[in-house]
Amino acid sequence: MSEKIQGNIAIPGIAIGKIMKVGQSLDGYMAAYNPGSAEEELSKLEEAIDTISAAIDESVEAMRAAGQDEQAEIMEAHSFLLMDPMLTDGMNDKTREMGHAPKAVLEAAQECAEMLAGMDDEYMRERSADVKDIGRRIARHLLGVKEPEIGEEPVVLCGFEVEPSAIANISDDKIAGVIMGQGSTTCHAVIIAKSRAITTVVGLENRVEDIPEGAKVLLDGNEGLVLVNPSADELAAYEAKIKAQQEEQKRLDALKDLPAETTDGVKVQLAANIGLPEDAEAAAKFGNQGVGLFRSEFLFMGRENIPDEELQFEAYKRAIVACKGETCVIRTMDIGGDKPLAYLNIPHEDNPFLGYRAIRISLERPDLFMPQLKGILRAGVYGKAAIMAPMVISVDEVKGIRAAMEKAMAELEAEGKEYSKDVELGIMVETPAAAVMTPVLAKYVDFFSIGTNDLVQYTLAVDRVNPQISKLYDHFNPAVLQLIYRTIKSGVENGKWVGMCGEMASDPYAAVILMAMGITELSMSAPSIPKVKEKIRSVSMDEAKAHLERVMAMETGAEIREYLHSKI
Amino acid sequence: MQELNLKVLNKPGLHARPAKELVKFNKGIESDVVIKFNGKSANIKSMMAVMALGAKQDAEVTVTIEGPDEADVAKAVTEMFANGFGFPEEL
Repeated sequence: MSEKIQGNIAIPGIAIGKIMKVGQSLDGYMAAYNPGSAEEELSKLEEAIDTISAAIDESVEAMRAAGQDEQAEIMEAHSFLLMDPMLTDGMNDKTREMGHAPKAVLEAAQECAEMLAGMDDEYMRERSADVKDIGRRIARHLLGVKEPEIGEEPVVLCGFEVEPSAIANISDDKIAGVIMGQGSTTCHAVIIAKSRAITTVVGLENRVEDIPEGAKVLLDGNEGLVLVNPSADELAAYEAKIKAQQEEQKRLDALKDLPAETTDGVKVQLAANIGLPEDAEAAAKFGNQGVGLFRSEFLFMGRENIPDEELQFEAYKRAIVACKGETCVIRTMDIGGDKPLAYLNIPHEDNPFLGYRAIRISLERPDLFMPQLKGILRAGVYGKAAIMAPMVISVDEVKGIRAAMEKAMAELEAEGKEYSKDVELGIMVETPAAAVMTPVLAKYVDFFSIGTNDLVQYTLAVDRVNPQISKLYDHFNPAVLQLIYRTIKSGVENGKWVGMCGEMASDPYAAVILMAMGITELSMSAPSIPKVKEKIRSVSMDEAKAHLERVMAMETGAEIREYLHSKI
Repeated sequence: MQELNLKVLNKPGLHARPAKELVKFNKGIESDVVIKFNGKSANIKSMMAVMALGAKQDAEVTVTIEGPDEADVAKAVTEMFANGFGFPEEL
């Protein structure tokens, strides 16, 4: 039997390959290194910089030729940094001082990286990891660490952190997957892997050390699972899965440009949930129509101060442009005590999910809310933007948001900045209070988007990450369905559109009954879109309505689920 | 040697994009161009050094230019600051 290690899903897929460790410690090589005279060390350094620089330029060219623009851009930044005298002078000066080129290189790169990390500029902060990557690459060359040899068999790169350059340097047919100890799914390595659809599992933490070099692994990116030395039976089981996956993929790819409509022609908009503006561009290959949830949190995280209007404007603009005229729904900051940010200044809370968070903070902090609203209103000029407020429980809050929006417009007017007057304002219906009050709230908003992840959690009082009670968490629970139906009816009766941006929207069976309830937009992670579309295209609205009637008369979530899975 | 007192007009300050433009510009000239601000100085051949100056919008910087083509370079640098380094949307 194999050893199974559970990590987190980053990029789905199934991959089989041989482990190639990267980013490992250089300590052993350092101890064995015999430095020459200062002059010798300097000339070794020069040679190393030239070699690596040429290698980077060569791979950038190859990537451009292969149409891998995103990857090429990241590696081009490496080339730019390696030409920067601040880095190279630092390396030279330190080599002269220390008489030990590899040590000097790592130290100089570290200093530059720290300086960049402290800068008040998103672009430069992101370059911090790139500088360290370059430093290690030159140091490895100086230490004579062999660039791992890639044989016939495709490799699975494995390390606590995997350097972007390590992925970028292996061609598609030789790289099967990536395993990382660290848990971020937005780092450059993951972005590069995603642009090439390389199966990736992250968040293994120190367990990456238990995976031996050269071991055969099976990577189940759909489950975030790593099987080290899989048995013949496991391999056979997965071979079948891979084959089925490929066939399904072919079928789903064919749906990309077809409309999401029932057999009798009732349409629904299938939009994408995104976290980064570039996700909106990547979603296009799944045939999305706009963005139903842009989680603006990433703009607020990992930084020391409030992101300014300009930075937010640029990010929203990029996403809005990528929506090509379809709506881009931007959710205002949804952060609370669970992700403490220094500038939010939230004292410790025992229960941050019921605490000072999201719109509750935004409404009290114009210094935080105004730049966000103004950024969105300005970006609205470039397409169709909508503002969505999270965690709303009352009409008063909606009035407060509307007033803030008007103030933002007045300020933009006074500053003579161009902005859109047609940005819609809606709320995320994710508290039972909001769902119950939708008949009233509908008078004050332009749309509702049902956030089922929290709505299920708050309605059923079930923490979905608590494994002991996770079986109680069910979006088909009749109590949840009643609230959803009520919300949709309230919207329809008041002429406001209703969408859904929680995980339930990606359940093809749920999609059918939601359409029967009158929902007109479903937003989900882009790869889920084709499956939902396929199901919708297989039923008529009459059938869907009949199913809905049966389902609403049922008494348990299990009964509903079983019915839908057997009848649709 | 030429010395210029120039104002940063770009809203985001001397950030990544203008700094990159300066590095590119530097490749085509012979003079040494150094920007001084707030007690720090940066040769424009280093993008990182220029950014580390932390010069925001409206910052008044001193630029020294030394070399055989310094008169032409001074004119070009003045122009670059004035037109937002070719990013009119940042003005």
